[in-house]
Amino acid sequence: MILTEVMASLLLISGCFFYIAGTVGLLRFPDVFSRLHALTKADNLGLFLICTGLAVNSGSPRITGLLLVVWILGLLAATVSCHLIARRAIRSGQAEPPVAEPRAADPTP
Amino acid sequence: MIGLAIDSVLALGIVWMALQTVRSDSLFQAMLMFIVFGLLMSLAWARLHAPDLALAEAAIGAGITGALLLVTWRRLQVHGPDDSNGPRLMTRWLALPIACASALLVIIIGWTALQLPAVPGTAGELTLQRLEDIGVSNPVTGVLLGFRAYDTLMEMAVLLAAWLGARAVATEFRPGVLPGPAHAEVPLVGALLSLVVPISILVAVYLLQAGGSAPGGAFQGGAVLAAGGVLLCLTGRLEAAAQASALERVGVILGLAVFSLTGLIVMATGGPMLALPGVWAIYLVETALLLSIALTLVLLFAAAPGLRRAP
Repeated sequence: MILTEVMASLLLISGCFFYIAGTVGLLRFPDVFSRLHALTKADNLGLFLICTGLAVNSGSPRITGLLLVVWILGLLAATVSCHLIARRAIRSGQAEPPVAEPRAADPTP
Repeated sequence: MIGLAIDSVLALGIVWMALQTVRSDSLFQAMLMFIVFGLLMSLAWARLHAPDLALAEAAIGAGITGALLLVTWRRLQVHGPDDSNGPRLMTRWLALPIACASALLVIIIGWTALQLPAVPGTAGELTLQRLEDIGVSNPVTGVLLGFRAYDTLMEMAVLLAAWLGARAVATEFRPGVLPGPAHAEVPLVGALLSLVVPISILVAVYLLQAGGSAPGGAFQGGAVLAAGGVLLCLTGRLEAAAQASALERVGVILGLAVFSLTGLIVMATGGPMLALPGVWAIYLVETALLLSIALTLVLLFAAAPGLRRAP
């Protein structure tokens, strides 16, 4: 009982870590593509860890199956929306990330 | 202890989001804040052990309202006035006094409600005692059908009136046709749709069926079904038609018509008006409500009298 609780807590905490890392990436990265990369990669793994943690905590096959469906749907939605946003960014001419010149709006150099 | 911490963060977040919604400079930012506000509200309902309200708030308050707000924003950008950052929100200084007055009002109402003596025999208690007679095991659905049938009927009338109002306005200020989505032919979109739209139908039917014994019901199911329709509109699978088909006209009034007719038939046979005579009647009415709600919401989103399959 204690073991499953420790395992579930570890999974949930590491899931939260990936969500926080993804959010920091969304806020701090310079262009659309690296932001998308941070957000979708980190969130997919974070969602997986949180779903696994909840499944371990519940100990019920039914809830585990439902959480698996939640994760797969989250993956699909994130993949397709990421693809569409990146596609739109390329089409509208944001393909070159502004590496050479620091943006004026960015307070940190 | 940790529960209190979560609740405090949630309460502060709700107030902060509400303030940001009325204070933000750009219309777009205000819309996003409002959507996040709806999501936080749904978390708050979940924390208050009201999953029915949490579902309704997430599906309607954040989901469908958010989609309506964002599509309005897009229309403003394409067809609106030249200052495409949206109309300037000039009334920002009003936000603080209005917020304070609202807070005072909430405090007065809450204080008054706490002072009221507990009344025996509230709708909830009566429903809990007589759940078997009503025929459902979910007390929320029981209260809605046993005591609040007029409210549900009037909500359907309000939804129909909203759609008629949108139609009336649309003939005056014709909302321009949005340019077709650029991503209609992306293979990934088709794959996602072929999976997500059937799932939205499945979840809608599940929510309707579950409404009898667990959180769910016609409004939540209707919003989920409408989300599938909104997705089909967004990806160019459905497009606006100039005229409503006969089927759509029937669909929009179906909920109101079936509910009123059932109520009137019950009254004609000697019962009180709108008292539903059994579980079959409950599911009949709820199914009609679900179809009408979903269709009305999708038509509102498309800002069109009708929809047709895209060629």
